[in-house]
Amino acid sequence: MSVTLEGFRPSSYLTSETARILETVGNGKAIAAVSGGVDSTVAALVAKRALGDRLFPVFIDTGFLRVGEAESIKTRLGDSSLGLKVKLVKAGGRFLEATKGETSAEEKRKKFRETFYRVLGEEAQKDGCDFIVQGTIAPDWIETQGGIKTQHNILEQVGIDALSTYGFRVVEPISELYKDQVRLLGRHLDVPRDLSERQPFPGPGLLVRCIGAISKKKLDLLKSSTEIVEQKLGPFNYDQYFSGVIENDFVKDAVYDSLEETTAGALGLPPSETRVDVFEDRVTGVKGDTRSYGRLVGIKIQDESRETYGWLPEKLRLAQSGIVEKFVDVTRVAVLVKEKRGGPPLSVIVRAISTRDFMTAAVAQVPWKILKDIAESILKTGDSSRVYYDITPKPPATIEFE
Amino acid sequence: MTTIPVVYVRGQYNHLIARRLQELGVDSRLMPPSTPVEKFEAMKADALVMGGGPQSVRSLDALSEELRDVSNLMTKIKLPMLGICVTHQLMATTFGGSTNLAKKPEFGPVEVSVSDEDTILTGLKPSFTAWESHNDEIVSAPPGFKVLASSANCTVQAMRHENRNLFGVQFHPEVYHTPKGASVFKNFLKVVDDYKRA
Repeated sequence: MSVTLEGFRPSSYLTSETARILETVGNGKAIAAVSGGVDSTVAALVAKRALGDRLFPVFIDTGFLRVGEAESIKTRLGDSSLGLKVKLVKAGGRFLEATKGETSAEEKRKKFRETFYRVLGEEAQKDGCDFIVQGTIAPDWIETQGGIKTQHNILEQVGIDALSTYGFRVVEPISELYKDQVRLLGRHLDVPRDLSERQPFPGPGLLVRCIGAISKKKLDLLKSSTEIVEQKLGPFNYDQYFSGVIENDFVKDAVYDSLEETTAGALGLPPSETRVDVFEDRVTGVKGDTRSYGRLVGIKIQDESRETYGWLPEKLRLAQSGIVEKFVDVTRVAVLVKEKRGGPPLSVIVRAISTRDFMTAAVAQVPWKILKDIAESILKTGDSSRVYYDITPKPPATIEFE
Repeated sequence: MTTIPVVYVRGQYNHLIARRLQELGVDSRLMPPSTPVEKFEAMKADALVMGGGPQSVRSLDALSEELRDVSNLMTKIKLPMLGICVTHQLMATTFGGSTNLAKKPEFGPVEVSVSDEDTILTGLKPSFTAWESHNDEIVSAPPGFKVLASSANCTVQAMRHENRNLFGVQFHPEVYHTPKGASVFKNFLKVVDDYKRA
């Protein structure tokens, strides 16, 4: 629970951390759980400095990865510049089985964590390893301890004894650092820029971007829309950009009777020119340092008014904050970019943010014509009927949907 | 070197306060609210900063144990003190003001209007953008305190004691999305320097 960094210096951090790892692991062996992300890559490289050949990098294919991700990461980390010879473990079936039928975000995350450490524990036993090195960073345990959301890589900070539960001890070389400090350490370790600056991808991956119950249809749509969003927004250098998928089931509740009026008022439009939907499946937020597992509101502005008023970032911001202030159960607001009548009852939500340490985030001002282009490409696949853009900062939303 | 412990009350951004102070060359780390006054003296603390948290502090009688400890620190320790978010509210409750559920809570970006640049808000007139996350707010500042800034939803965004070095801010100067947040800490450090010299 303590942050004792005195103005962060990568070289001295590396010296003290490798010494600490050597003291912990002694003559033993360790598995490094890697995902290709900057956190686990840097953690593995720090551990490799200390342990050399006694470190065994393992990549678990959870089935919730992006198209072609597992193979490309294995190749990338095995490059001579990094020298992490990765063992690929395919466990997609087990993860899907464990999370099937769960609609609650926290239950999905906990089932994922359980499966993740069972699989890792089996690998550790096979390789005769008593330790697992993982890339936990400060926001992971701050959010988990604070009850905002269960990050999959937090055990001992929430009182789970890894040794008696899973048969190994946990080593976390960068658990006191924030993302920007990890990137700095990564550059110091000569991690290539495309890896050290890579946008975050959550451990449970597409599982927590598939809002509500997981299904093959939703997962397939999410994979194709993720590819489109990453390709179209890649050149813009936003700190993070991705998509989520949600079913078009809507709440009918008198509580929301005045929602359209609130929205239209904030936008300065007559109520006849806006339509507001409240999605049934809940999404994760954080209000006043407390977890808020609430509703997602989708705003539709009639095409003619949208063309007249343009992208309206300031007015949409007011509508977003007005709705979240007034309706305690709402954590997120998204604006409809495009819809296709008669398509399957699924919506894709695009999110792009700017942040430094991922503790707070602002909505990226993606040009409207880029959003329209993304929406058209996604709708063209015929697997969804609506595409929204999330206009909620953190707080009151979290960065990921669940 | 200046030593400023951060009293940890379980908010999401408490660690960031220590990080910001370290970036300004201060020796800073988190300390639990149960830390005895003598320990702060032994470590030669020059000031205290208190963080935010998920609790409500509407009545002194209903405080959680840790916030009762923080309230006691506020009255016992005579060092310069800065309370952020819930401990800003706690400062009001402790010294005879009042807090309640906000009519309109604030989450994310908020425009804070400065009415008085006194000390911690020096250089921040007329207004600045700050990140917020609160359901409760100060309804009336305690006697002896003056209000320095407000926003559309919240009347007491910043306050200070008229003649003691007690300061409170509702917004979060420690997060990246409050671009002028560093100024608040720098201004507070000036207070601390003056206090050390006196």
